[in-house]
Amino acid sequence: MKTIAIEGTLREELGSKSAKVMRREGNVPCVIYGGEENIHFYASEGSFRDLLYTPEAHLVAITAGGKTFKAVIRDLQFHPVTDALEHVDFLEVLPGKEVTILVPVNLVGNARGVRNGGRLKVILRKLRVRATEEGLPSMIDINIENLRIGQAVRVRDIENAGFEILNEPQRTIAAIQTSRTAVEDEDEEDEEGGEEATAEGGEAAEATAEA
Amino acid sequence: MLQPKKTKHRKHFKGRMKGNAHRGSTIAFGSFGIKALDEIFITSRQIEAARIAATRYMKREGQLWIRIFPDKPITNKPAEVRMGKGKGALDHWVAVVKPGRIIFELDGVSSEVAKEALRLAAQKLPVKTKFVVRRDYVGA
Repeated sequence: MKTIAIEGTLREELGSKSAKVMRREGNVPCVIYGGEENIHFYASEGSFRDLLYTPEAHLVAITAGGKTFKAVIRDLQFHPVTDALEHVDFLEVLPGKEVTILVPVNLVGNARGVRNGGRLKVILRKLRVRATEEGLPSMIDINIENLRIGQAVRVRDIENAGFEILNEPQRTIAAIQTSRTAVEDEDEEDEEGGEEATAEGGEAAEATAEA
Repeated sequence: MLQPKKTKHRKHFKGRMKGNAHRGSTIAFGSFGIKALDEIFITSRQIEAARIAATRYMKREGQLWIRIFPDKPITNKPAEVRMGKGKGALDHWVAVVKPGRIIFELDGVSSEVAKEALRLAAQKLPVKTKFVVRRDYVGA
């Protein structure tokens, strides 16, 4: 998992009044919890760009008050109209302690069903993953190359090494739906033996996690 | 057109729209959307007109989600009737939209197609809107 560094300054005053002043100056009030004590700090809005506007999950190395904290994003608050970042909650990652984060799913390959005119429907874009710092993946790659029309990849099909997925095993991540332009798979009869194994699409999809 | 199947009360008070939307202000289903920038009542006819405008441009590609529902009944008195004698009859249904509310969401089409489809949809609505994209969207 990649780490992004953020330079912060400890907050001297707490409360909404000082937070409003901070936001007006282009800073974002933040908090780190999960460790020994809660740390309130602020950082410039621009420093969060690489962290938030990306499909990957990251670890964050926050420097505030002369100390460095390793953390993950726990919660984000945006202004409902302007979409400006208003507040960030970080959860401190301690050695050996498990944390739960949302990890994005990356579908790899052009599905066989899509090549035959089907439509790929992505249902779960992020999975809830629990792991220690070393096991946290930045993205979960799922190979959908062999997925046919009517088949789906489910949570239970993902081979996870070093982390635990907390979503229900039967939840669908992505499915190939039929459409008006769909054509019948020509190789379907030839591979009838193999089809039984891929009836649910489960074994058709190989999943790996990028640490 | 959208309207509730059953209601607890036939007629509502007018009410006031204060503040910004707090629920329904982030993209939840698709990759693109339009966000209201003012407070307004949007009628079920306007929602339907906007939906048709967007889906026609998309030509059966992609999927559209309507994130507002017209659940507020609006009454009207007949023409040339004196004031009083009670509240008027049910006329139409509206959705109460506050600034920040996502009205439509789209997915399964390119960014350019989504932008144009939602621009056409926004023209059918009585409110200023802005085009928004999912935070972690990467172009196909």
